[in-house]
Amino acid sequence: MEIEEKLALLNYKTDPEYEHITINPKICETCPDHFCTFACPAKCYTLIEGRINFKYEDCVECGTCDVACAHGSVMWTNPKDSHGIKYKFG
Amino acid sequence: MSEFDVIVVGAGPAGSSAAIKMASQGLNVLLVERGDPVGSKNVSGGILWGNDLAAIIPDWEKSAPLERYVERKVTSFLTGDSEIAIDFKTKKFQEKKTGYSVLRTRLDSFLARKASQSGAMVITGVTVDALAMKDGRVVGIINEGETITADCVILAEGANPRVAMAAGLVGKPNDRTVGIGVKHVYKLGENVINERFNLRGNAGFAGEYVLSFLEGGVYAGGFLYTNKDTVSMGVVINMETLRKNGNTHSFDIMEKFAQHPFISGLVEGGQLQEYSAHFVYEGGYEDMPRAYGNGYMLVGDTAGFSFSNGMILQGMNYAISSGILAGEAAIEAKKDNDFSAESLSRYQKKLDNSPAVLDKKNFQGINNVVWSPMVHRAIPALLESSLYSMLYETGNPKKHLSQIMMKSLKSSGMNSKDLMLQGYRLMRRM
Repeated sequence: MEIEEKLALLNYKTDPEYEHITINPKICETCPDHFCTFACPAKCYTLIEGRINFKYEDCVECGTCDVACAHGSVMWTNPKDSHGIKYKFG
Repeated sequence: MSEFDVIVVGAGPAGSSAAIKMASQGLNVLLVERGDPVGSKNVSGGILWGNDLAAIIPDWEKSAPLERYVERKVTSFLTGDSEIAIDFKTKKFQEKKTGYSVLRTRLDSFLARKASQSGAMVITGVTVDALAMKDGRVVGIINEGETITADCVILAEGANPRVAMAAGLVGKPNDRTVGIGVKHVYKLGENVINERFNLRGNAGFAGEYVLSFLEGGVYAGGFLYTNKDTVSMGVVINMETLRKNGNTHSFDIMEKFAQHPFISGLVEGGQLQEYSAHFVYEGGYEDMPRAYGNGYMLVGDTAGFSFSNGMILQGMNYAISSGILAGEAAIEAKKDNDFSAESLSRYQKKLDNSPAVLDKKNFQGINNVVWSPMVHRAIPALLESSLYSMLYETGNPKKHLSQIMMKSLKSSGMNSKDLMLQGYRLMRRM
């Protein structure tokens, strides 16, 4: 089963006004490893034509990217009040 | 004058246990949880071991939303073609239950409800942005620019403790202190689970796996637990080796485990209900932060209380016991009307005599064994080739076990000195 199908099973309350994780594209441009694209279990980070594309909407708030990025590009915060992932089982 | 005696940040097992303990002794407690409903941000690695809840909820085995008790415990090595497992079933677990599978949305909302019934104020869907500080001590929490004051804050944020990190109370997690947990929940139905895992009633299966079939030097462990009518299956991925490999997706490792020839059959026909991911705290005794200070205490994963020796993963039991001990410390501190670091050091003294700390202390260095080439590659390779040689009928005269082992050892890529040394460490540290 593809990761996209798995993510489609999940419920989110997306905050249209606040991206709880942001990246610094200038840092990503010079990144030699793009480890975020391999580490993130929700495939929020993809490489499109050599540039990192990040979408916060699929984030499951695990924190992996903040540890994975060794170059200081990721700014990680919790989503604001009651937004983000809503697991049904956990 | 503070608005609350104690504010607890995070309604997981640690935070709710602390809140129940304190509120039932008359303290004025606020329990703040960012998930709405409680538990919706949380993921478990599966088994709640021990009897720690009994201290705050005497009838917990009857009243808590437990899935199945562990009757069958499997520790297993998976290679590409084979599974080599110790399958331990005992009636003793029927008489004296040692662990239960749980789903966290259910368990955590139950515990938060208990906290509320004990007299704590519980608010959900509220993200704590930072700690409120004054004269070098914690005096409350800040949400959306508004401060709520308390004599003491207990941080129970879990394995990704953003508030404690921002305040400099814990270090930033790193490749060594956290693993990436990824999990599937499948719906299979109660009868199918009972038949497939050879279980009756509410008996359950708990399996832990070494995924030695992974390529490119990546280390990961797996788990599989039966719930009432669902199965939890997951992996814990070692970040150091994933980074070193640099070309493997974490989500592909989960899928590879699910598709392993001796795993896929266990959930065949099951419908995937949920995909989830969460940090698993992997730090050792030396990584543990100071668990108290002026006006604050740390509990559960935030304080570094989870433990794995490769055979068993524990976290929720330590979360509960550390929460209760922090609660006790707060009750005593309230009597003295003193929440200074010196007063709250009584929490550390309680911890020092508890299994939560003693296990971490006694098993120092265990992670070097759990995540070693010996466990992840050499032992499974050795076992597989020895068993295959022993059990396969070639038509030629049989060889002695020692000869087979020596030949297998050669093919496992490990020399006998390394095997002896690492074997010694394994026995010592495990």
